[in-house]
Amino acid sequence: MSYIIKTNNLTKAYKDFVAVNNLSLNVRKRSIYGFLGPNGAGKSTTMKILLGLTKATSGTFTIDGKEIHLNRIEILKKIGSLIEAPSYYLNLTGRENLDIIRRILNLPAYSVNSALTMVGLEEFGNRLVKKYSLGMKQRLGIASALLGQPPVLILDEPTNGLDPAGIHEIRNLIRELPHIYDCTVLISSHMLSEIELIADDIGILNHGHLLFEGSLDELRNTGKSANPGSDNLEEMFLSMIEKDNLKRKQKAIL
Amino acid sequence: MRNLIIELRKNKRSGAIPVLILTGMIGALYAYANFAIRKETLLSLPLPPMVILLTQLYGMIMVLNLFGIIVSTTIIFGIEHQRNSIKKMYMLPIKISSIYMTKFIILFLLLFLCIAVQSLSLTVIGRLYLPEGTFEAGGVLVFAVYSFITSLPVLSFMLLVSSRAENLWITLGIGVVGFLSGMAMASTKHLVLLLNPFVLIMRPAMSASITPSIPITVLSIVSSIVLIIAGYISATKFHYE
Repeated sequence: MSYIIKTNNLTKAYKDFVAVNNLSLNVRKRSIYGFLGPNGAGKSTTMKILLGLTKATSGTFTIDGKEIHLNRIEILKKIGSLIEAPSYYLNLTGRENLDIIRRILNLPAYSVNSALTMVGLEEFGNRLVKKYSLGMKQRLGIASALLGQPPVLILDEPTNGLDPAGIHEIRNLIRELPHIYDCTVLISSHMLSEIELIADDIGILNHGHLLFEGSLDELRNTGKSANPGSDNLEEMFLSMIEKDNLKRKQKAIL
Repeated sequence: MRNLIIELRKNKRSGAIPVLILTGMIGALYAYANFAIRKETLLSLPLPPMVILLTQLYGMIMVLNLFGIIVSTTIIFGIEHQRNSIKKMYMLPIKISSIYMTKFIILFLLLFLCIAVQSLSLTVIGRLYLPEGTFEAGGVLVFAVYSFITSLPVLSFMLLVSSRAENLWITLGIGVVGFLSGMAMASTKHLVLLLNPFVLIMRPAMSASITPSIPITVLSIVSSIVLIIAGYISATKFHYE
């Protein structure tokens, strides 16, 4: 199997807190990988490590077979990303913000317009970003990640701040991306209901530990064997997290 | 060149670029207005006309330039820290150290332009108001180069502070404290205090001579180079977390 993102025992520890613990992810090429977990599970930290924003305490990872500390520029040319709250120059318009990124990526001028159109921001492109609503800022963040149609997209809770119609629209867009652009998407969320509509594979993270990795069908089968009779994925996900939390509490007591 | 265009575009509407251009123009107008109004008083001082022209006006021009440098360096990295724009840069195929160096080059050129405009004004004043045969264009040029070199340590220091401080009020505060410390130590004879970049920029104003001090010039160049290297290394080594 061809994996475009592969991590081996990735660990990120702060003074007395382990955010990511021996994480081994395998993201297939041209797939949508849903990275699930409750708040504080370590999803954003993992994504930051993958983008070189923070260094792993131990463990290794490769993106398209390359290690980031040896090939940072080369790898980042292939990744479009949106991590936590999107970052912008507030003194510039949406179009000008994208133009900065376009110039860094050495892309043609028309790529800005197509990215704005893709996220439905074409008519607000000339408005200053400081005057954008939360949803518009989020859309601009997605547009900046899509700029140049990178082969890998890392999106950290991209539908944050969007209204239901916006969530639906962006979800459909993300679902189509691997077919349109031949790209791989790693998307994080704390809602299985959202991820199950778009993801091919799922990784469930809790307290930095990977509890499950596999396809949606595998998750269903795992859930069924643990809770016969239950077919609700959301319930399976929650019970998986609860069991893990309970195990931790018992360990802490002992 | 590509990085220069990107940085110039980033600074659109930020005010960082107009500040130093405006500083140059205000300094030039101030020098002209001051000399035109007070020429009798100034020329009656017991000093050679060229010394009067260059040293009696430099104090105020230097203060203007200093504040221009503080404000422009604060803004130029302020836009990167506001809404964590720098975080996006870390996720793009661009070296943060090259962003730092490009910002330095922009400010370097703007400060050069600022001092050139002010020196042009001094040349006009010299030609119009100094007694015949006393004006030396070469003297203005040498003094302009001297004041530019002694201004560079503050520029390099403030850019380094601005690149590290996420809150622009901290950068601005350090600039103001630096200015006050420079004023307090400007006439110092202790060599150690000359390590303060804010003292170096004030040295031409403290002298009654228009001949550049070689030790101050050398110290300014060395101090600027050290601060630029420190900024470059900090931009390379420290990561966004």
